[in-house]
Amino acid sequence: MAPIDLLFTFLNGLSTGMAVFLVAAGLTLIFGILKILNFAHGAFFMIGAYVAYSITGSNPSSLWIFILAALVAGVVVAALGFVTDRIVLRRLRNVDEAYTLIATFAVVLICSGVVKLIWGVNYASVNPPPLLDGAIAAGPLFIPSYSLFVIIAGFAVYLALDIAIHRTWIGKLLQSVANDGWMSGLLGINVPFALTSTVIASFMLAGLAGGLLLANQTLSPILGESYLLLAFMAVIIGGLGNVRGAFLASVLLGVIESGSSLLIPNMPGMATYVFVILFLLAKPQGLLGGHRI
Amino acid sequence: MRLINTVLFAACLAVMFTIPLWADQGILFIAGLVLVEMVFALSWNLLFGFTGLASFGHAAFFAIGAYLCGYALRADIGAPFLLLILAAGVAGALAAVLTGIVLLRRTTGIHLAIFTLALAEILRILVGYSTALGREDGLASIPRPSLELGFASFDLASGEAYYWFLCIAASVIVGFLWLICHGPFGRILVSIRQDPERTTFMGINVPAYRLAAFTISGATSGMAGALYAPWAQIVTPESAHWIHSTQPMLASLLGGAQSFWGPVVGTVLFSIINYSTRNLVGLAELVIGVVLLVIVLAAPSGVVGLVHELRRRLTARVSHAGPGAEGKAGSKGKFVQEAA
Repeated sequence: MAPIDLLFTFLNGLSTGMAVFLVAAGLTLIFGILKILNFAHGAFFMIGAYVAYSITGSNPSSLWIFILAALVAGVVVAALGFVTDRIVLRRLRNVDEAYTLIATFAVVLICSGVVKLIWGVNYASVNPPPLLDGAIAAGPLFIPSYSLFVIIAGFAVYLALDIAIHRTWIGKLLQSVANDGWMSGLLGINVPFALTSTVIASFMLAGLAGGLLLANQTLSPILGESYLLLAFMAVIIGGLGNVRGAFLASVLLGVIESGSSLLIPNMPGMATYVFVILFLLAKPQGLLGGHRI
Repeated sequence: MRLINTVLFAACLAVMFTIPLWADQGILFIAGLVLVEMVFALSWNLLFGFTGLASFGHAAFFAIGAYLCGYALRADIGAPFLLLILAAGVAGALAAVLTGIVLLRRTTGIHLAIFTLALAEILRILVGYSTALGREDGLASIPRPSLELGFASFDLASGEAYYWFLCIAASVIVGFLWLICHGPFGRILVSIRQDPERTTFMGINVPAYRLAAFTISGATSGMAGALYAPWAQIVTPESAHWIHSTQPMLASLLGGAQSFWGPVVGTVLFSIINYSTRNLVGLAELVIGVVLLVIVLAAPSGVVGLVHELRRRLTARVSHAGPGAEGKAGSKGKFVQEAA
């Protein structure tokens, strides 16, 4: 195995990992602050992708249309997030987690039913926009420029989220709400507002991810599931609700996934699940467990 | 009240056994699937509703039973069918013991959910990779066996005959689970769900009971799989998919996880919704999703809990006996208690 193969596999894995992180970002945010494991996150990711697809069509005319579509998808899904919070999540704040899972699973079914009714069950695919449809040659290595775009987008979202949570007053406020909602309320923080904002931000990330990752997959009503499982694993391995942990774990899972498709191409996903099981047996609290958010 | 329950129960049994006489083949097939999924859902709910453990990979046990039975029937190894079902139960139990020993002492809650999910997915990938088990296509055209009872022999090749066999087999397994849940063992499981720490203080070996419940649940799930294989006559890796693992959860919560018959009611309701919305793609999911959401938000104790609550209110109004009736409903579960 040539070193060039390894490097290529690593870059592939990095790109997969960033894609996973784009989905996991919103998931870990909502878990860190609301302690809700949102099963419906993947479904809203899928809706984001479909909304962006409705704007760009199968051949996005320019990179800017592609990014604009992703932003619009983010806003639309954020609005859906507000509605979901009002109707569903707000009522589940103090209920056993099993019921939250079932309720969000019900939302998954509703989303998937609505997507089938609006967009049909046929597969659709979207080409990368011009500028991103080629590959960049770096010596003997050809990197698809869309992979590079996903890597950059993943880093950008991670940096924005990390700075927002650890360096701004909004972030500190959210951290205090996550640590002790009751006490924060006593100190005059509008806790329900903070929680609703978190939900909206998390859903916006889901929609944005749907739009940004639109190009490298077939669009179908089962799109939500494909990323959801990996994103879940990333959130859990990262230490539940920890953004930095989720970022590291996403990259790790991406590299493992891509490495295993090089070594054992017949069993896709196998290495990932084995890794998750062994990792959690050894370190149940996750990579950065204990540090909330 | 007891009379109403008995009449209702007898009516359900009568409907179940007479379906081949008045329904067409399509409905008969769905009814058979309902029986299988019902056993599967009850097995899952023994863990969730009674012991308080949420397994997200239960389809693995189902698939083990289904593949074992399907493989043996296709290979025509000559083992009696009843023995195959028992073997599937033993295989499911073994798998459950092995995973339970590793997982249950270390994990509960979300971690247990992820572990079981990951293990089931590994099994699905392995099965999809195995040439002997037909890879992604699965085992097709599984023959229906004949039943040798020593004194008599029944050919189960026809849909009607196998359906009646399914009715009896499912009833036996459900009866077994009912006895388990309503005896001292079941009471200990319920107390573990409500408060594991206090149950430990009462001198009960909580991990051992959890493992026992996990094993029984794995065994009956395996048997459900074994019953499924000759009925559908095809087994694919999809039967181990995590989407299949969510079926018993949805059925249990729809019907009411805290009551024994909840999963049964839920499975039947699910199939009715699915069947009546089959013509419009997407509508079935939308309807099930909305119903499930309404149930979880408005009546967390499920359809059965809702019926109990309505009955309690009705009888309270008739007899003006509040406290007694309330105690009866309250014992059904903590959500009803909180509501009352």
